[in-house]
Amino acid sequence: MIADDATLVGLMVSAQKGDRQSYAVLLKIAAGWLRRYFARRVAPPFLDDLVQETLISLHRKLASYDPARPFIPWLAAIARYRWVDQLRRIYRAAEESPVDEPTVASDEDAVSARLSLDRLFAHLPERQARVIRMVRIDGCSIAEAAVATGQSESLVKVNIHRGLRKLALMVERE
Amino acid sequence: MKSSDPDALIAALVDDLAPAAPLRRWRGLTMFAAATALTVAIVVLGAGLRPEIAAGSVDAVFLLANGLFAMLGIAAATTAISMARPQVGNRHDGWAWAAAMVALLPAAALAMQFIEPQVSAHGLSEGRCAVASVALGLIVTAGLTLWLRRGAPTSPARAGLLAGIAGGSVGTFAFAFHCAHDDLFHIGIWHGAAILTSAAIGRAVVPRFIRW
Repeated sequence: MIADDATLVGLMVSAQKGDRQSYAVLLKIAAGWLRRYFARRVAPPFLDDLVQETLISLHRKLASYDPARPFIPWLAAIARYRWVDQLRRIYRAAEESPVDEPTVASDEDAVSARLSLDRLFAHLPERQARVIRMVRIDGCSIAEAAVATGQSESLVKVNIHRGLRKLALMVERE
Repeated sequence: MKSSDPDALIAALVDDLAPAAPLRRWRGLTMFAAATALTVAIVVLGAGLRPEIAAGSVDAVFLLANGLFAMLGIAAATTAISMARPQVGNRHDGWAWAAAMVALLPAAALAMQFIEPQVSAHGLSEGRCAVASVALGLIVTAGLTLWLRRGAPTSPARAGLLAGIAGGSVGTFAFAFHCAHDDLFHIGIWHGAAILTSAAIGRAVVPRFIRW
């Protein structure tokens, strides 16, 4: 189910007032949106966990949504925060499996592009973005990333640490 | 609360739903204004207003420096208040310009020490100013921390830093109504040190209370 932002705002305003029916619809739409949003940026075994963690954060932080503002950029900020948090926590994906192509609906393309997780990486130096992608998303080992990038293992660790620290500061950046 | 079945999780969250009053910006600003007023009141009623101010006579350095401290406090606090309501596209860097302007005070004080070295005549009372300002600043820092706990700051470290800067700036601003020293060296170094100390406390302590 795809809904425009105005509809989502309406559902969220009702949810903030305690309307459970609206909230159930909103959460189902949000879950679908999050699944598509994270699809390319999380190792598949962690996708469900990340979607659920983000829904729980949405639930706990309902009051932080301002009804005068659009809904999707708020949800995206929470999603990015949880994503960076997960990148920090998961040192290596347990399994490697082919990443499915995302199924982003065409009328969401413009919003998704603006809110994309890739845009965060664009603000990092390539040496940091590359090793974070390899180690934290694709599941490579530090040694493999070191060989592939020509960096020493210590430098890979330093670049991951610095890159994640920068990502954490840029969650709300476009 | 996580579940292997996403529908079960959604059902549990729906079941747990309680009305949530949105965090309104004006409420955050009102809280900040009240905390600032309380801080100033503690200084005026507890320590006493400087006789010069009570008599309506103030020094230009006092006005300039405290105007800058007040602006930094407002800039840092309003940014921290905004950070409780995240949104991709928000920018939280306006406060840095106010901080840069305030940094001119210690920079000028240090420059003057090189040009015309002076020995402070105030002794230990200089440090008392900084300690009192930091302690007073805890009121605003605590208020902002509570506000941020209710919200969803996506950068807890920066939000903590800003809560500390806002607290230190307001504490310094408030204590200036009692502090008897108007010279640039004292204000630049000791009042500036109070803000730096508060910022460090905020950065170190507040994030653990607001991380989510």
